[in-house]
Amino acid sequence: MSEVLARLDGIERRFGSVVALDGADLILRAGEVHGLLGANGAGKTTLLNVIGGMLRPDAGTIEVGGSVVSFQTPREAWTCGIALAHQHFALVPAQSVLENLALGLARGWADPVRDVRAKALKLMDRIGLRVPLDSRVDHLGVGDKQRLEILKALLKNPRVLVLDEPTAVLAPNEISGLFALLRELAAEGRAVVLVAHKLDEVLMVADRLTVLRAGRTVLSTVPGDYEIPDLVRAMVGADPVDAIAIGVDVEPRSTKREPGESVAHLDRVSVTGGPGVDLEEVSLHVYRGQVVGVAGVEGNGQRSLALLLAGRVSATRGSVTLPEGLGFIPQDRSTEGLIAAFDLTDNVALALHRVAAYQDGPWLRWSELTRHAETIHERFEVQATSTSVLAGSLSGGNQQRVVVGRELSIATDLLIAENPTRGLDVAAAAFVHDEIRRLVATGVGVVLVSTDLDEVLALSDRVFAMTRGRLLEVDEGQRSREGVGALMLGGAFAHA
Amino acid sequence: MAKDVRARVGVGVVAVGATALIGAVLLWWGGYDPQVAAGAMFRGSFGSWNTFASITLVRSVPLILTGLAVSLAFRAGVWNIGAEGQLYAGAIAAVWVGLRGATLPALILVPAVLMAATLGGAAWAMVPALMRLRLGIGEVITTILMNFVGIYLAAYMVHGPLQESRGVFPQTDRLVEAARLPILVPSTRLHLGFALALLLAAGLAVLLRRSTFGFQLRAVGASPEAARVAGRIRTGRVVLASFLVSGGIAGIAGGVEISGLTYALYEGLSPGWGYTAIAVALLGALDPIGVVVAGVFFGALQAGAGAMQREAGVPAAWVGVVEASVILTVLALARLRAVGRRGGS
Amino acid sequence: MNEIEIALFLESGVRLGIPLALAALGETITERSGVINIGLEGSIIAGALGGAVGALAFGDPAVGVMAGALAGVAVAFVFAAFAIGLGTDQIITGTAITLGGLGLTGAVYQARFGATGTALTLPTLPSAPVPLLSDIPWIGGALFDQAPTAYVAYALAPALWYFLFRTAWGLELRAVGEAPIAAHAAGVRVRRVRFLATVFGGGLAGLAGAHLALAHAGTFAEGMSAGRGFIAIAVVVLGRWNPLLVLCAALFFGAASALQFFLQAFGFDAPYQLFLALPYVLTLAALAGWVGRSRAPAALALPWRSE
Repeated sequence: MSEVLARLDGIERRFGSVVALDGADLILRAGEVHGLLGANGAGKTTLLNVIGGMLRPDAGTIEVGGSVVSFQTPREAWTCGIALAHQHFALVPAQSVLENLALGLARGWADPVRDVRAKALKLMDRIGLRVPLDSRVDHLGVGDKQRLEILKALLKNPRVLVLDEPTAVLAPNEISGLFALLRELAAEGRAVVLVAHKLDEVLMVADRLTVLRAGRTVLSTVPGDYEIPDLVRAMVGADPVDAIAIGVDVEPRSTKREPGESVAHLDRVSVTGGPGVDLEEVSLHVYRGQVVGVAGVEGNGQRSLALLLAGRVSATRGSVTLPEGLGFIPQDRSTEGLIAAFDLTDNVALALHRVAAYQDGPWLRWSELTRHAETIHERFEVQATSTSVLAGSLSGGNQQRVVVGRELSIATDLLIAENPTRGLDVAAAAFVHDEIRRLVATGVGVVLVSTDLDEVLALSDRVFAMTRGRLLEVDEGQRSREGVGALMLGGAFAHA
Repeated sequence: MAKDVRARVGVGVVAVGATALIGAVLLWWGGYDPQVAAGAMFRGSFGSWNTFASITLVRSVPLILTGLAVSLAFRAGVWNIGAEGQLYAGAIAAVWVGLRGATLPALILVPAVLMAATLGGAAWAMVPALMRLRLGIGEVITTILMNFVGIYLAAYMVHGPLQESRGVFPQTDRLVEAARLPILVPSTRLHLGFALALLLAAGLAVLLRRSTFGFQLRAVGASPEAARVAGRIRTGRVVLASFLVSGGIAGIAGGVEISGLTYALYEGLSPGWGYTAIAVALLGALDPIGVVVAGVFFGALQAGAGAMQREAGVPAAWVGVVEASVILTVLALARLRAVGRRGGS
Repeated sequence: MNEIEIALFLESGVRLGIPLALAALGETITERSGVINIGLEGSIIAGALGGAVGALAFGDPAVGVMAGALAGVAVAFVFAAFAIGLGTDQIITGTAITLGGLGLTGAVYQARFGATGTALTLPTLPSAPVPLLSDIPWIGGALFDQAPTAYVAYALAPALWYFLFRTAWGLELRAVGEAPIAAHAAGVRVRRVRFLATVFGGGLAGLAGAHLALAHAGTFAEGMSAGRGFIAIAVVVLGRWNPLLVLCAALFFGAASALQFFLQAFGFDAPYQLFLALPYVLTLAALAGWVGRSRAPAALALPWRSE
């Protein structure tokens, strides 16, 4: 067997009362692409941050090249040959690509960018990833940001390259390009660690698999030793399996629900200058009793579409018809869906306080609001001792139960759900999917906007792809990852 | 809820205790006898019923009012550091109406004076509010700058257009009887302004807890994004309204001071109440009822500091240090509690 | 208005602008690291008292200048301990530091020099004309016949610009102020950088205070900082967080404050209280008028914890 580059043994890490890692082990060898699997909340990102020097473990050892190390900062990890490519948030938006590449590389009084430019150009030539060096990062698309993160890590010439969910923001054909690159890097004698929560993506490229569950390494194997159902069981244990959330056995919906009357209508609507990407001449009918799915790589206008349909932004041109009973599940539950410092009753009131039934002149009917919050607490099985618990103290899954419960209770005509399962564990994702199915059966129209293609395909009666602010309907025959993926990238040309 | 109140009261008590300790050490370090100073401080604030009513409670009126103004703004996520300028704007407007309407009966004139004070303070707050909402300029700096403009405007007024008729002293003419707030407790100087402050505090408490506007204000202050996206609240309107109400209350503080106590406007009317108000608001946990308690505490502190200077020779400027240490202790305790909650339970 | 009056106007404009420039240049560095120090006023007044005490104790204004800078550092250190160390709210903490700084200096001054009596007379920093440059017509005397602390401000502006935009340390500092998470991921010690930037800003504010006491007034008075800390923060905004522009903005506001001489020379007879308000009104107008488009560091006033 080839040389062991790094070995993590019995890593433990807590955040307050939450145990994120509880005895995680990982062995990385030269020349391998190592897939790190686990459902959301299994501790993958925490483990990566420990490898990369972002977090110090509470217990356990890290060995690099045979000697035990302890990283105070990420820089010390680089000097040991380990570099971490984050999801796209670890960039400085207001600085240039070059400055982002230089950050932390050059030290002291030196000109930070001079040497880095030549190095970056050489690296980009060699591996074929290109990012415009003089652009400001906030002008880049998400795909470019992800490529920049990978370049940033490779510029440290690491022996161990760690990638945190690099595929989440890439289109299907971009993903295969990335995987080819990872194979090449491994062939040069590096170890590449790839994290994803979709099983079949990891199986496409990995030579070795490690499965984390509840902060613990439960399986370390090579692909082929285990059947997919066994891997799934390793990932989720006894939890109910939600095929969508872990990316196996996803079948596009074949049976179509009969559409009811039109409940929302966009007619050649454009939105410019809003918080998201501009929309151009978007038209859409939403019918009762059907799910409209909107797929697309992040940053193509889905955010604007969701906010428009939810009545949160107004159209620059075109006409918008929306119903009264409208619920909206925004993508970021902790900053947009809930107020962490408010208790559950206040958070329920947040959406309901505008409903006339809960108002009495200038006053709010707090007893009604409290009763309603209690109903949601029970009906949606929110794990909280009472409705006066602060929302910020709940787990992500329970927070989403509050948001979903609240929005379902006002979505008597239309529900807009924007990435409703992002970051949720398998059980919570299954809950959200079940609730959406149940709601649509009662005759409510649903629009599901999601970057998770599998989720869109599995739940939707009609599928649209969003690309550069335009909305394109996907023909029935094209409803597959590959088909929709092609539309997502080149759709504008395909239709023109 | 009850647990929360207990915790806030706990923070307040610890902060006051810590401050007393810091104060004593500072006094000892400055070469004073802490015991003598503390005795003077107590006599000067709680020594007798008359001292308490005429000095402590009278001094607490502008502190409670500006404290309410600041706490309301902070609850809405508005960093109004401008209560000082708003107070002066209110005082100028109040004295102007009071002098102009000298022939009116008290039943009309007193409300008119207070209304003018409210509008003056709100107008002063309107400038930074619009600069934030229209131009995206943070209100911290603009409210502070408006303080200086307000202070100098008042100075100009008492040297210029509103100077007393003999033209000797830098102050306005005295308000006629009909423009003055009645005395609340006979044979003390405690005026109706104190009752007004208590009423306003009670009103704000109900507003914040029960009303739609109060709820929206709290939501915008706690998370503007969630208020906008999940609550469909027009955050700009709520910010503007909170800013104006806050400025209006600070303006009332100026009007009440003039119509209840000094009966004239002069330079240096406020020894920095608008800044002390931040300490009052924080010690009162940004809660109207808490602000009343904290306002009386600081009123006693300022009353006592005066006595301390007279009897023990301790410079009254120490009060600034005490205020600062109250603010810092409350902030530090709140942080430590938050960290403890995250790390412990 | 003749040449002498114009020279006088320019000279006093620069003289009034220098303390603003010193404090604002320091605050520029502080804010670039993501910290807004409203306690700057406290550092300035401490610097003034420190300068006075130091100069008196050693009979040497140069020692006073050092003592003033140190006093400014000490005040900023307290601010940083709370706002960065504990992560308390920067704006409220800064306000408390200003209140405390004004109170403490007032109390110490009264205790040491007595509450009444005549004003303190200090050994002053004489102006040091720069050969040749000070002979330039119109502006030579105004810019180059000033106290040595003025030349510190002139030299600092380009030096800090170079530091911010042409050195790796400057890049790290800006990254900390824009995206602390990214800086942390690149191995930068976010809180350490913020601490140093804040203390540096406090030192310059202390220097500004010492300049006020030793070069400007020749005495110490309670509250003599007179809101300059707040104006300096506005000057940073006007200078768009760029040291070169910040220096220009500070001199501009010095000139605005000196306008009273100019207008009086024209026989413009308005009460001086309105002149006192003028710089503040002009600052507000300038903020409203031309700052609109510029952007503060993204993480300004946001606390940071590494997990």
